[in-house]
Amino acid sequence: MKKVLILGGGGGGAILANLLPKEEFEVTVVDRDEYHVFQPGNLFIAFYGDSVEKYRRPIRSLLKPHVKLIRDEVTEVNLNDRKVKLKGDKSLEYDYIIIATGANLDFDAIEGNRELLESYGDFYSTLENAEKLYKTLKEMREGRFVIAIADPIYKCPPGPHKGAFLSSTLFERMGVDVDVVLALPFPHAYPSKTISDIIEPELEKRNIEVHTFFTVDSIDVEKKRIYSLEGEELEYTVATVIPPHEGPRYKVEPSEVKDDSNYLKIDKYTCLIEGFDDAYAIGDCTNAPTSKSGVTAHLQAEVVAERLQGFDARYSGRTNCPLITDGMGLFIISDYDHPPIPVRLSRFKRLLEDLFVATYWDAIRYPELWQPIFHAYFEATSPAKLGERGW
Amino acid sequence: MPELIKVDARGMACPGPISALTRAYRKAKNGDTIEVLATDPGFKPDVQAWVKRTNNELIELTEEGGVIKAVIKVTGKRG
Ligand SMILES: Cc1cc2nc3c(=O)[nH]c(=O)nc-3n(C[C@H](O)[C@H](O)[C@H](O)COP(=O)(O)OP(=O)(O)OC[C@H]3O[C@@H](n4cnc5c(N)ncnc54)[C@H](O)[C@@H]3O)c2cc1C
Repeated sequence: MKKVLILGGGGGGAILANLLPKEEFEVTVVDRDEYHVFQPGNLFIAFYGDSVEKYRRPIRSLLKPHVKLIRDEVTEVNLNDRKVKLKGDKSLEYDYIIIATGANLDFDAIEGNRELLESYGDFYSTLENAEKLYKTLKEMREGRFVIAIADPIYKCPPGPHKGAFLSSTLFERMGVDVDVVLALPFPHAYPSKTISDIIEPELEKRNIEVHTFFTVDSIDVEKKRIYSLEGEELEYTVATVIPPHEGPRYKVEPSEVKDDSNYLKIDKYTCLIEGFDDAYAIGDCTNAPTSKSGVTAHLQAEVVAERLQGFDARYSGRTNCPLITDGMGLFIISDYDHPPIPVRLSRFKRLLEDLFVATYWDAIRYPELWQPIFHAYFEATSPAKLGERGW
Repeated sequence: MPELIKVDARGMACPGPISALTRAYRKAKNGDTIEVLATDPGFKPDVQAWVKRTNNELIELTEEGGVIKAVIKVTGKRG
């Protein structure tokens, strides 16, 4: 039996744990939280007022019975000695390790950002903070709701746009005169010009004020102003600033496997941590040059499951990031060899996204049953196939 | 001491070389020089727009063998 240790029971870790056949592997998952969070749920809580319960499940209930779960915090990983230390003083050994502890959101990196979070809530950190943001927005009668970004590398690149679209619908439903402002570090309304050209008219239609080349440098909570690195400033009534993300803060030996943002340096195809053949990292905690998304974590988990079983699987870099408005949706589709393809907003794609949301818990618990369906989808919508014709 | 900060954004399409430049810019101070290498063809117009908006100086913008090189003198940072 090969001993597999998976750090983190989020999207990547849980799927991987459930994919490994129990005849061949003894699988242990370590997570510091009791619950697995469906993070896109933050949006539905913050802008539709959905309940927190809808978007979390005990990790135990999502793992197959043979998978062992330890609830504790990882404090140190030693890849040279194949040892992991936990806060509860326990130490674990392994034959194979997979690091899947996601991204850390650093609310203290930007002056004023923690106060902002504490005053208004947000839609990136926790479901409780999303609930708080909903309450804040429901109280607004006028003024400016600003969504801004502190670093161009954050999870779910269309997340802020979804926030802008959905909040503008919320204010419309409330019948109040609140301006939605979206400030982005990019030259256009989206990092990819192709996607930007598609969504700019939609943002305009909804009177969402877009500021490009705006990377948050600091926030003055007294004056209610956000200052950018590029030298501009924005006034807000209520604001949320997506904080800089980073890889794991716990110690990893050897330290060279982390980059200067603490992300684990991996081979972008095999997900092996640089210099090791028994250690992988997947999901939001890596430096893979692709979008930090649940889809990435899921596809990387499948690749690692295959590799652990002796197959030469490789991750293509495929993304499938949904951008939704209240009634419409599109998917941002790219891979390592293809920049985002042109896509159109449609009602059908919004329904498809709703379908993905509805299947989420089941897809985590029974990845092997959903695999053929997802594979058919990914194949039919691959950038190579859809090409410039788009979708 | 002014520093030379090198950014290699070759082969980077998403979130793109401008993002790599932005990350380097956060750490830079007035007087420093940032040199960016990129292969994304969109980088040329984007970096020109960026220096204009941020009040920095573009000292060099060249393309050779599909690699775009931009050299920027940092002058626009707030004190
Ligand atoms: C608002 C929003 C919308 C999004 N929308 C989408 C979308 O539509 N589509 C999409 O694909 N992605 C979306 N994402 C991104 C997606 O949620 C993440 O990319 C995905 O969850 C990453 O999975 P992961 O397994 O790498 O990390 P996570 O799911 O974050 O899991 C990490 C786990 O590790 C645990 N952990 C962390 N540190 C430790 C430690 N030291 N010790 C023990 N346990 C630890 C955590 O408790 C957590 O359970 C969205 C994200 C947000 C915030």
